Amino acid sequence: MEKENIVELKNISVAFDGEQVLDGLNLDIVDGEFITLLGPSGCGKTTTLRLIAGFLEPDTGDVLFEGKKINGVPAYKRQVNTIFQRYALFPHLNVYENIAFGLRVKKRPESEIKEKVAEMLKLVNLTGLEKRHTDTLSGGQQQRVAIARAIANHPKVLLLDEPLAALDLKLRKDMQKELKKIQQQLGITFIFVTHDQEEALTMSDRVVVMDSGRIQQVGTPQDIYNEPRNAFVADFIGESNIVDGKMLKDYYVEFSGQKFDCLDKGFAAGESVDVVVRPEDVDIVEPEKGMLKGVVTSVAFLGVHYEIIVDIGGFKWMIQTTDEHFAGDSVGLYIEPDAIHIMKKSEYSGLYGDYSSYSEEIDHLSDAEEEEP
Amino acid sequence: MNKKAFGNKLVASPYIVWSAIFIVVPLIIMVYFSLTDQNGAFTLANISDIGKYKKAFGISILYAAVATLITLVLAYPMAYFMTKLNISSQRMLFMIVMIPMWMNFLIRTYSWITILANTGLINTFLSKLGLGPLRLINTPGAVILGMVYDFIPYMILPLYSVMSKLDKSLLEAAEDLGSDAFTKFRRVLFPLSKPGMISGITMVFVPSVSTFYISQKLGGNKTMLIGDTIEYFFNLGPTYYNIASAISLVLMVMILVCLFIMNRCGGNDEDGGVLM
Amino acid sequence: MKLLSRLYIALIILFLYAPVAVMIVFSFNSSSSVWVMGGFSTRWYEGLVKNTVMLSALEHTLIIALLSAIISTVLGTAAAVGITAIRNRIAKKAVMSVTQIPMMNADIVTGISLMLLFIFFGKLIGLDESLGFATVLIAHITFNLPYVILSVIPRLRQTDAHLSEAAMDLGCTPVKAFFKVILPSISTGIVTGFIMAFTLSLDDFVISYFTCGHYQTLPIVIYNMTKKSVTPDTYALSTLIFITVFVLLILYNILQTKSEKKRTEIRRV
Repeated sequence: MEKENIVELKNISVAFDGEQVLDGLNLDIVDGEFITLLGPSGCGKTTTLRLIAGFLEPDTGDVLFEGKKINGVPAYKRQVNTIFQRYALFPHLNVYENIAFGLRVKKRPESEIKEKVAEMLKLVNLTGLEKRHTDTLSGGQQQRVAIARAIANHPKVLLLDEPLAALDLKLRKDMQKELKKIQQQLGITFIFVTHDQEEALTMSDRVVVMDSGRIQQVGTPQDIYNEPRNAFVADFIGESNIVDGKMLKDYYVEFSGQKFDCLDKGFAAGESVDVVVRPEDVDIVEPEKGMLKGVVTSVAFLGVHYEIIVDIGGFKWMIQTTDEHFAGDSVGLYIEPDAIHIMKKSEYSGLYGDYSSYSEEIDHLSDAEEEEP
Repeated sequence: MNKKAFGNKLVASPYIVWSAIFIVVPLIIMVYFSLTDQNGAFTLANISDIGKYKKAFGISILYAAVATLITLVLAYPMAYFMTKLNISSQRMLFMIVMIPMWMNFLIRTYSWITILANTGLINTFLSKLGLGPLRLINTPGAVILGMVYDFIPYMILPLYSVMSKLDKSLLEAAEDLGSDAFTKFRRVLFPLSKPGMISGITMVFVPSVSTFYISQKLGGNKTMLIGDTIEYFFNLGPTYYNIASAISLVLMVMILVCLFIMNRCGGNDEDGGVLM
Repeated sequence: MKLLSRLYIALIILFLYAPVAVMIVFSFNSSSSVWVMGGFSTRWYEGLVKNTVMLSALEHTLIIALLSAIISTVLGTAAAVGITAIRNRIAKKAVMSVTQIPMMNADIVTGISLMLLFIFFGKLIGLDESLGFATVLIAHITFNLPYVILSVIPRLRQTDAHLSEAAMDLGCTPVKAFFKVILPSISTGIVTGFIMAFTLSLDDFVISYFTCGHYQTLPIVIYNMTKKSVTPDTYALSTLIFITVFVLLILYNILQTKSEKKRTEIRRV
């Protein structure tokens, strides 16, 4: 059976104080899917969510729900519910009343509320905590109350605004599984916003990669990872080496001064392209057997594998390997045709995919770790 | 684990002595004066005489209650709208609301006579239109207006400080869960702004119910409020200090009971209880 | 909606400032009426200089406000530090409850009870006239203290307890640690407390009324004048005070915004 679109965004633009936050956005969301809006902060993902929730109106463009235009329909009349970034649990109400909030507003009979809340508590494993005050709950429990409160209303679409960002790593992993389970159990559409690419890949049916108010790519996690459309997507999702190349003809590309077989076609002969090679797809061989030759400049042991940086003609490649190598070794690289992915040149060409500043990048990542309050 | 405190509790002792002498002892003396006659002999006459002033008590409570209610109704939207502005305008408005509090309240009250009098600004204006004159001054309305005017900053500021600290996403969450504007107010904004309302109501009701200046200036001498009664006896000289103390004592107890009931009904902790 | 809320704010401001505007306008009245505008004149401002009663009352008010603010700030800061160090919960609660009495009580009750105290003890030591400068000062300190204490205590709570330990670890004596580390970190609370004490004292009428005897402060003089009829010189003086306060507050606000900007800029660098 062909699934219908439940939410459609048509050519949406939004600006705050003259700054373009969304720029001609088009997106169809299919009923029942788990779709993730992924991108760095400021890319417009949360704005997109707020448009669907009804907290924001687009400057131009339309928001459609089940095929009907809902511009101007206030949030309280929309059949969508939101899980807020810091949960926004009502501090003056206990767990039971928080979950019952939406039902009470809709004036449901008391017996139905009771039944529904009990059902929700069971769904999120919080039975027995009805009377607790929300500020006495742990972060994970608050998260569960927020989920229960949102889905008690039977929304057709659930919007989740970085709901796991405040949790520690272990809890985050558990909640990822749990959310996915709840989504499958209820069969409703989840629109999930995150800046964590791993979270996006593990949970979603489809991922929407966004940057600068525009959609960079929409696809299944596999598509996004294996067939990134441009350097931004390739770099944002996982690690990648991105080098300048030239398409010589279909299935034949030149980069780093060598010619390679590949699986891509449809480019003009001699067209400049970006070439992506994932670090785990490169084999290290004896220097003389390699398609490319280089010198190891640094090695980091990560438990499962080594991450080594190889300098090839001034461009630093990252390679993941299970064999040990040492800085200063000369090595050869061997790349299978299906490990080479060709992308058209874009505004992002040349910005990403070089590991010369790799150690700084690690520092930067550890800075971004959440601090415990 | 016990949180380590710095310093020594002994440095509080000068204050503790001070507050014992100048807060606790005066109240005890007030009780003593209430229960004695002018010669120092024990009597219950002062207390049993309170019944004579029940009209003053009644009017005071009524006027103060009405003034507090009006103040709340006027201040609530003001505080709410203030939180919607950008930060620098918010700070500016905060100052603008606060500045009149630095003016002598006697003068501020007195200026109203210029506006409300039979030959005052409003009536002059009306007569130019061929209307009036309206009787504005020396009415209960003028007294209540004076109370509202003098004490409205004490209502706006605590309300504003509670509302401005409120997480905006709570209101969005309420809307998201199906609340229209009114429900959002009733189920979320109102209960969460209660601490601000309680301190605002306290700070308006207490001075209103005990005022003796506003009623004299704007109410003429027709309305004897409880504050006026106390001042009246005070001015009659030491012979009347006993009855003045008795009335003050009853006023104090009454206010404390009101505050206690209100805090119970509010059922909230002490958050937001401080003005600034 | 936006327009409506702006309009509402404007109306409330109009309400708050209408009497202030009336006062300012009539302070420039050439006739001696506060009802009918005669013409423009600054004679009331000139007359102020010669009005010795009012000027001495102003002096009294400033002396009392300054002294009571200083004393209550010192006493109150020490009290706040001491109170946070009290471990016994019941004792702490008792002290805090007593502290709140002057804030909760009606001014008239506080005024009467202090007056009775002064008269009672005055009689005991055989004074005929016990009310005066000392009693007003004591009364003002008493009602200022809670405001100082309640603005310092939250700052103390926010201050990291390890700060003073760190200072002592680096060789400070406990007293030195307090002045070098704790005091600077609670200074905003102390300054707020001082400003509140000063302005409360400046504006107080009711409590002074019952405790001042013949030591008249400005509000008392104004009260006595309004008992008869007000002349525009009262308005002139109030206008001057209003403008002083207004300018000071605006300056304070500008300075605060500037220092905040600086701080965020430093943080960014």
